[in-house]
Amino acid sequence: MPLALQAKGITKTYGGVKALTEVDIDVRAGEVMCLAGANGSGKSTLIKIISGVETADAGHIEMDGVDVGRPSVTDSIDLGIQVIYQDMSLFPNLTVAENIAMSARVKARSKVVRVQAARSIAARVVERLGLQLSLDEKVENISVADRQLVAICRALALDVKVLFMDEPTTALTWREIDSLSRVVEQLKADGVAIVFVSHKTEEVFMMSDRITVLRNGAVVKSGAAAEFTPDTLIESLLGYLPSEERQLSALPVEDKAPALEVHEIGRNDLFEGVSFEVGAGEIVGLTGLLGSGRSEIAESIFGILPIDTGEIRVAGQAKPIGSVQEGIEAGIGYVPEDRLTQGVILEQSIESNLIAASLDKVSGRGGFLDSGQMARASQHAVEKLGIKTDNPANPVSSLSGGNQQRVVLGKWMETEPSVLILNGPTVGVDAGSKAVILDILRLTAEQGTGILMISDDVPELVSVCHRVLFVRRGRMDGALEMDEVSPERIRERLDR
Amino acid sequence: MSIDTGRQASRSVEQATPPWALAVKRNGSTFGLLSLALVLAMAFSAINPDSYATLLNVESIAFSIPEVGLMALAISVAMTIAGIDLSTVAVANLTAIFIAWYSRVGVEQGQGQLTATLIAVAGGLLIGVLCGLLNGLVIAKLKVAPILTTLATMQIFTGVAVAITRGEAAYGVTDPLSSFGYNSLLGVPIVFWLFGVVVVAVWLLMTKTKYGVSSTMMGASRTAAEYSGIAYTWVVTRTYVLAGLISAVAGLVLVSRTASASAGYGSSYLMLAITIAVLGGANPFGGRVAVVGAALAAIVLQLIASGLNMMGVSTYIYQIVQGLILVGVFVVAFERKRVSEAISRRRRRANAQTSQTNQQKEHQK
Repeated sequence: MPLALQAKGITKTYGGVKALTEVDIDVRAGEVMCLAGANGSGKSTLIKIISGVETADAGHIEMDGVDVGRPSVTDSIDLGIQVIYQDMSLFPNLTVAENIAMSARVKARSKVVRVQAARSIAARVVERLGLQLSLDEKVENISVADRQLVAICRALALDVKVLFMDEPTTALTWREIDSLSRVVEQLKADGVAIVFVSHKTEEVFMMSDRITVLRNGAVVKSGAAAEFTPDTLIESLLGYLPSEERQLSALPVEDKAPALEVHEIGRNDLFEGVSFEVGAGEIVGLTGLLGSGRSEIAESIFGILPIDTGEIRVAGQAKPIGSVQEGIEAGIGYVPEDRLTQGVILEQSIESNLIAASLDKVSGRGGFLDSGQMARASQHAVEKLGIKTDNPANPVSSLSGGNQQRVVLGKWMETEPSVLILNGPTVGVDAGSKAVILDILRLTAEQGTGILMISDDVPELVSVCHRVLFVRRGRMDGALEMDEVSPERIRERLDR
Repeated sequence: MSIDTGRQASRSVEQATPPWALAVKRNGSTFGLLSLALVLAMAFSAINPDSYATLLNVESIAFSIPEVGLMALAISVAMTIAGIDLSTVAVANLTAIFIAWYSRVGVEQGQGQLTATLIAVAGGLLIGVLCGLLNGLVIAKLKVAPILTTLATMQIFTGVAVAITRGEAAYGVTDPLSSFGYNSLLGVPIVFWLFGVVVVAVWLLMTKTKYGVSSTMMGASRTAAEYSGIAYTWVVTRTYVLAGLISAVAGLVLVSRTASASAGYGSSYLMLAITIAVLGGANPFGGRVAVVGAALAAIVLQLIASGLNMMGVSTYIYQIVQGLILVGVFVVAFERKRVSEAISRRRRRANAQTSQTNQQKEHQK
């Protein structure tokens, strides 16, 4: 197969720091090349340079063997390079058809909006990929998985030769990933060169023909996917191999009341008859497909979507939880699904974020805050969680994703909760930070906190959970106890 | 080989920033305003040495600052939670009308000067609290946008004031109030002392208390604040009550200073107050406390007003200058954000790089 795109000797420096050092990558027509790298390895910078958003300091790009130098954004679109960014950059208030036709319309420099033309462009692309998308639905009303497909269709509405997909599966369940991979197969058959960016090892193997690993801005390993094993891939990503086997925290010896018991709880249209318990010091996984009700159950227990029926008991005591304030008073902490909008306040200081849920604790008479206690609390959290910062007064936006997530964890640790509920605690976090976060959870459990972890990351569930519970269509759907927990069994259950 | 490597590496990434540099960086806009005030004062004194730099003029500027400064403070406080209070001038007028009315009625009914004063002031402040409560509840409970809510209540409060006074001005205040409005203490007008006290009190409230921190976080991100257990209704209601109370203090100052009150007084103050609040560093999108900034910005704008006035520049030109300042502040604020974002992006990348190298080294050990 001919080479579709080659980048040669790409070097980029930001204020004295080398983000990329003489990086060479290439991708052939009709293959999937996976660009793998941990957070901060330079993947995003490389994509930005190839797509013309940033300009390289040295190196050049060749398309079909022709030197095109360092293209601008419009150059690269004209050359047939398309990028689907993580946020997908769709217009939520426009329909699926209008979104798909948007880039074609911009390229054609058409000034008049014609609904029929947009629809026919969109219909053609959707048909080509054999997809089921309702063209007249607004994008804000469709699922994340469908949005991903819309973004792909939009790229294909133009004559695309090389398609970059930046972590396309972050928000997808693995079943949705499966249907995404069918679309990818279709594109390959059409001769499109695909560069797939990811740090989830399972998908890398599922999707790609070849793998190129970036670490610290340089290519450390490149070869056919068959030459890699999951272990060698992770090792080249991180430079070392973290342990992924089952590493359970010790359960408490003495008998204590369960940290959390829910009995027949339900909320209109979301879930019903849900009962389970989380022991003190126990880590319980809760999994199910996207839309199964797993997140809603968590948010109900915490008080964001208060329950209509049933009973919640925390540390043996019945607690009526009708608001977040009551949830926190009852001793519940919640690390939410969407870190950037629900978890942290980006422009506020690390310190403010760390004490946000325990303001009562650090304030004294007349509601005045005790600055000494605030500093101690935040310093304690920074040290305990290893948050990488030179000053807790810096805004949270100065931290990397993994460190931001540690701030969210730290905020709840400060409240000393009986129950800690986590919703996708390591989504979008690189493998190194992930291991640290899971380790923190084990330590927290050993100190007696009950942990309920909602996740669809199978290795993660296997690695830390004593038990794993399943949700399906708003109802509990079985459980795996202690020794039954294994990757195969979890997948088998989810697949049913 | 252990999963602890990340944690150990993190400790080794430490670069200290000197405390003075941090102080300047954090209070950049405050230092900027302070120097702007000094430059303006010197420039106008140089242009008009005989009249601008006189004790009389300084005193007249000091008398003119508190009213509009307090109104700007009310707006700035509302902006902390990504709101706005357009009703501040209307609340101040309503308060002033009540105080003027009660000054007459109370004394007529045989109350002593002091008793009448205390009741008038307490009643006036209570009006401010109630107006703020109305704003807060409509915004928090009925979920009407702050700009629409306070636009509506501004018209309601003004309408009430017109109805009560039949459109005429109410004259006269009690003796203690008029001496409060006219006299100076240690060469500084008493109303200016009051302004200073309110600024310090509001600053303490916004930066050192649970309420202040909660409202700043709520302004920066309502969702994240609610997910942290900060009660939206509580914060919003308290903030508009505070804004109403500050507006009422502005009303107290204006009625004491002019010994009169009317429904239409200070109609040009609203735009001026918004300009001051934004120049003072308040972010209309929320999340920033700019109390001291608002006070300094009030001083800056009054220095300009007085200077232009002495140069014989018409008030229309002054309005144009106000508009230019407002646009200028926005441009500077957004450009600065863009530049500082670019810098922090670079720094983050640099940190990520060093930490990775550290991780590698750690591993090689």
